[in-house]
Amino acid sequence: MLGNLNIRVIADYFPALWQGFLNTLMLSGLGFAGAMILGIIACALTIQPLRWLRAPAIAYVDCIRATPLLAQLYFLYFGLPRLGILLPEIVIGIIALALNSGAYVAEIIRSGILAIPRGQFEASMSSGFTYLQRMRFIILPQAIRPTISPLIGQAIVLVKDSSLLSLISVVELARVGQQIALDRFMPVEGLAATAAGFLIIYYLLKALAGFWSRFDRVPGRS
Amino acid sequence: MIRFQGLNKWFGSALHVLKDINLDVAKGEVVVVCGPSGSGKSTLIRCVNGLEPFQEGKLVVDGTDLSAKNAALRELRMEVGFVFQQFNLYPHKTALENVTLAPIHVRGLSKAEATERGKALLAKVGLADRMNNYPSQLSGGQQQRVAIARSLCMQPKIMLFDEPTSALDPEMINEVLDVMVSLAKEGMTMMVVTHEMGFARKVAHRVVFMDQGAIVESGEPASFFGNPTHDRTRDFLSKVLHH
Repeated sequence: MLGNLNIRVIADYFPALWQGFLNTLMLSGLGFAGAMILGIIACALTIQPLRWLRAPAIAYVDCIRATPLLAQLYFLYFGLPRLGILLPEIVIGIIALALNSGAYVAEIIRSGILAIPRGQFEASMSSGFTYLQRMRFIILPQAIRPTISPLIGQAIVLVKDSSLLSLISVVELARVGQQIALDRFMPVEGLAATAAGFLIIYYLLKALAGFWSRFDRVPGRS
Repeated sequence: MIRFQGLNKWFGSALHVLKDINLDVAKGEVVVVCGPSGSGKSTLIRCVNGLEPFQEGKLVVDGTDLSAKNAALRELRMEVGFVFQQFNLYPHKTALENVTLAPIHVRGLSKAEATERGKALLAKVGLADRMNNYPSQLSGGQQQRVAIARSLCMQPKIMLFDEPTSALDPEMINEVLDVMVSLAKEGMTMMVVTHEMGFARKVAHRVVFMDQGAIVESGEPASFFGNPTHDRTRDFLSKVLHH
């Protein structure tokens, strides 16, 4: 099957595939940046003591984790225009990715914070730091470190999830693959080219994770 | 400086951990709190800087009423140093950074001022050569001395010590106690939970004995050790002094 893969078709479509590859990178990058921001905010709200701030953050995380990304994507795609909010598909796509991954990022960071010994909170409290200062100077620098690997894992998931955006006609890798399948009636070539693009991104992220784990040393720990 | 009046605390609804505590600590006074484990002495000292809430009674520390709902805890904590049994240094910061972090960000000192003050204090506790080490590179005794310097760098009015030597190897206990002795001699107001009766005898103005959440007996070291009035105090002292 792969032996008689029509390389010429892939070569013909290379400019489109390259564009799709760049778009997937861009969508994933922006989506993940948004997810980090949303995740840190949601996490901060879920672990602070005020109930009326905590409840919406917990509801957000629960709703996202309980429903499929596809449903969330369609919900935004069809829902936002009904609220009079008209956005390009690509923006809706990025928002959906950010909202979706943000919930998982919140949980990953929360697990990192919960692993910090109680004494760190007590010591920083006893020195008179405000809540935000405690988080910034003492808790987060320690909590983020062990979460880097799971966060890169989440980024890998997000890159693959971005292929769903093809369903709201955002042009990215999977969409170009479908295009090859439809135009030339060569689905295997299209899918193979798409898969290769995703593999490349996966290996880039994996290299990043490896790089991190090799060079990550807690200061003072050999 | 510190005044407990009829303070009561429960963990949950059943466990009565502090029973009707009345205690005054004057400015410049050194009070040692001792007692068997589970007697509530750590809980008592943790109430003083608001790490533990309580349900009944009154506690006023440096003019701040901790029983008030909106007590200015953060402002109070700037004036009250707390030294933990487990040191609780910030593992991602060097000794010097541990000491200067709060003065810079809480007191608003410039980095240069804080560094100067921090270096002087680390030198004072005998760690002039370990300033750039991380906590994991220091021994327990060294870590605890950094922790004391960290509290002192805020120039507190009161120092609280919660079993500061209990997690240390025996040969390191004295280096920490020496720092505490010199601090006491400088006139710092101190409350110290400890089993180090030698320290109590040497520098305490008053020794308080607690058992099952209540203060059983308190007195000057001479009379407390020489002539304890309660059986439980005698029993406790016979266990900690003769071995």
